[in-house]
Amino acid sequence: MTVDRTRPAGALRRPPTAEAEAETEAGARAGAGRPAVGLPRAADRWPPLLGAAGLALVAAWAGGSAYHQDLAVLFAVYALIGLGMYVPFVMAGSLSMAYGAYAGIGAYAVLVAQVKLDAPFWLGWPAGCAVAVAVAVLLGLATARLSGFFLAAVTLLFGTAFQRWLVASEDLTGGASGMAAGAGPAVLGWHPGRGVLMAAGLLLVWAVAWLVDRLRRGAWGVTVRAAREVPLAVESCGVRTRALDLLALATGAAIASMGGALFATFQAGVTPETFTLDIVFLAVFMPLIGGLGTSWGAVVGALVVVETTVNLPVLDDSGKLVLTAVVLAVLLVAPNGLLGYLDRTRRRFAPGAVRGGRDGARG
Amino acid sequence: MADGALLRGTGIGKRYGGVTALDGVDVEVRAGEVLGLIGPNGAGKTTLMDVVSGAQDLDAGTLTLAGRPLAGAPWRRARLGLARTFQHPQLASELTVAENVLTGRLAARHSSVRGMAASMLRGLLSTATGRDECARLAADMGLDDPGRLAGELTLGEKRVLEVVRALAQDPQVMLLDEPFAGADATGIAAIMEAIRTVRRRGHGVVLIDHSVDLVASLAERVVLLDSGRVVFEGTPEECLASSEMRAVYFGGGYDRT
Ligand SMILES: Nc1ncnc2c1ncn2[C@@H]1O[C@H](COP(=O)(O)OP(=O)(O)O)[C@@H](O)[C@H]1O
Ligand SMILES: [Mg+2]
Repeated sequence: MTVDRTRPAGALRRPPTAEAEAETEAGARAGAGRPAVGLPRAADRWPPLLGAAGLALVAAWAGGSAYHQDLAVLFAVYALIGLGMYVPFVMAGSLSMAYGAYAGIGAYAVLVAQVKLDAPFWLGWPAGCAVAVAVAVLLGLATARLSGFFLAAVTLLFGTAFQRWLVASEDLTGGASGMAAGAGPAVLGWHPGRGVLMAAGLLLVWAVAWLVDRLRRGAWGVTVRAAREVPLAVESCGVRTRALDLLALATGAAIASMGGALFATFQAGVTPETFTLDIVFLAVFMPLIGGLGTSWGAVVGALVVVETTVNLPVLDDSGKLVLTAVVLAVLLVAPNGLLGYLDRTRRRFAPGAVRGGRDGARG
Repeated sequence: MADGALLRGTGIGKRYGGVTALDGVDVEVRAGEVLGLIGPNGAGKTTLMDVVSGAQDLDAGTLTLAGRPLAGAPWRRARLGLARTFQHPQLASELTVAENVLTGRLAARHSSVRGMAASMLRGLLSTATGRDECARLAADMGLDDPGRLAGELTLGEKRVLEVVRALAQDPQVMLLDEPFAGADATGIAAIMEAIRTVRRRGHGVVLIDHSVDLVASLAERVVLLDSGRVVFEGTPEECLASSEMRAVYFGGGYDRT
C-alpha cells in the first residue's frame, strides 16, 4: 500500500504557532456559546404537516365510494410495505425480499385470530409483528456472515416457500382459497364502518412515516446510515454493526406485517395470492420514486405505484409498463426522487435551510 | 498493572500472503503517554494499528489493554477503550459533521443490543439527542459548521473530524494514523491539542507519522519501525541521533514526498 501524500512539506514541519493555538481556542469559545445547530427544528415540522394534508386529500378523494376506499386502503398497505422496506434497504443497505411474506404473516395473523381462535382481530396485529420479526431475525442471522446477495436470495426463497406453505396448510390457512372472517372487525362490540377503517389506515401510515423519519435522524438511524458506507469505522467506534442490521431488518418486517394486517382487517379476508413477489419489486421502487432522503418518499412512491398499476384508466395490464416508464423518467429527471426534486426546487427559492445528512441515490 | 503499561503488544506478527508486514513486534503504551510510531512507507505502521484495533487478525503475538486481553471483533476492542483514525479517512460522506461524531458517541453510550434498542426509542422521542454536544465537540476542534456534509470537507478537515469522532468515544488509548497528512496549520494545531487533552486525562496515544519532526514535538517515546521490525526505541532526541534512524531514513533512499 503506497500512500500518496499531497501536502506542502513546510506546512507539516512548521511547529504549531501561538496564533494557531489562540485561533483554536477562540473557535472553541465561539462554539460553546453557539445556539443549537445542525437541524433547525422548524424545518422538521413541514414534512409531517404536508404528509397529513396529502393523506387527508386521499381520504377526501375516496369519500364514500367503495372502489375508491379499496384503492385508498391498498395505497396505505403499499405505503406500509414500502416504509418497512425503507428502514433496512435505504438506511442500512440490506436488501431483503421477504416483504410479501411479512405482509402475508400480518394478514393471516389477523384472520387466524378471528377465524381459528375466535379471538379479537386486533390480537393478530402484535402477533403478526412478532412472527414477522422472528422470521426476519432468523433469516438475517443465517446470512449475516455472507454478502448482501445471500440475504436477497434467501429471503426470496423464503417468500416463495411461504406462499407454497400457505396453499399447502389448509387446516390453518384455508389453503388456496384463503380465509375470510364472517363479520368485520369489532372493537368492544362496536363495528367500525369502512370509512372509519380507511381513515384509521391512513392515520397509521402517517404515524409510521413520521416515526421512521425520526428514527432515521436519531442517533441510531444516523449510525445505521454511517455503517452502510463505512462499516469498519463504525465497528471501530464500538458498534456491533451486525446487531444494527438485524434491528433494522426486524423493524422493517414489523412495519410490513402491519401493512398486511391492515389489508386483512379492512377486507376481512386474504388469499395466498394477495401478497406475492410482485409487491416486493414494487416496494423496491417506492422509495426510489418518492425520494430516498426521507421516509415520506416511500409514501409518495406508493401513491404513484397504486395510481399507475391499478387506477390509471388505460388498457388492462399495461400498468406495469406505465410504472416502468415512470421509474425510468424519475431516474433520469429526478434521480433523488420526486420529493428530492421538490426539495431542491424549494431550496432554490429559500436557500440557507440546513438539514441533516442525506441518503444518496445509490442502488 | 504494576508496570503502568496501558496497551501492550508482545511478539506481534502479521503476514499478507508472501509479505511479512510485522515480524515479532513488541510495543507498549503507558498511561498519560504519547508514543510516536515512525518509519518509512511500507514499514508496517498501519498494519500494527490494524491488528491492534481488530481491523486485521494477527498471525502471532498477544495484546492487552489495561491488563485485559485485547481480542475479537473491532467493536469489542473499542468497548475496552480503544479508538482509532484511518490513514484514508473513513467518514460517512453523506452525513453531516455532527452526525459523524454522533456515531462515535452512540457506541460510547449504548453499546449493548438492548442499549441500542433503547437508543432507537429515544431517537423517536427526540432527534436532537446528542447533536448539540457533537456539534460543540466539532466546533472545539475548529469545525465550525456542524451541518456540512463530511464528503464536502477537505482532507485536512476530514482528519480533524476523525479525531473528533475518536475523542467522542473518550478512549483509554487513541490510535492516530498519520493525522497531520494533508491538514493545514489550524487543523494540525487542533489535533495536537486533542492529543494533549487525551494525555492530560491520563490516557495513551499512539501517533503514526513518517516524518519525525512533528512526532518528536509531541511524543515521550518513539518507536522506529522498518520492514516490520522495531529497529529503535527511545526518546525522540535519542532516536533522531541514532544510527538506525540515519540508516532507515537517509541511507535507504527514503522518499520524503
Ligand atoms: N491489506 C493488505 N494486503 C496486502 N498487503 C498489505 C496490506 N496492507 C499492507 N500491506 C503490506 O504490508 C506492508 C506494510 O504496510 P503498511 O502497514 O501499510 O505500512 P506503513 O503504514 O508503515 O506505510 C507493505 O508491504 C504493504 O504493501
Ligand atoms: Mg500507513
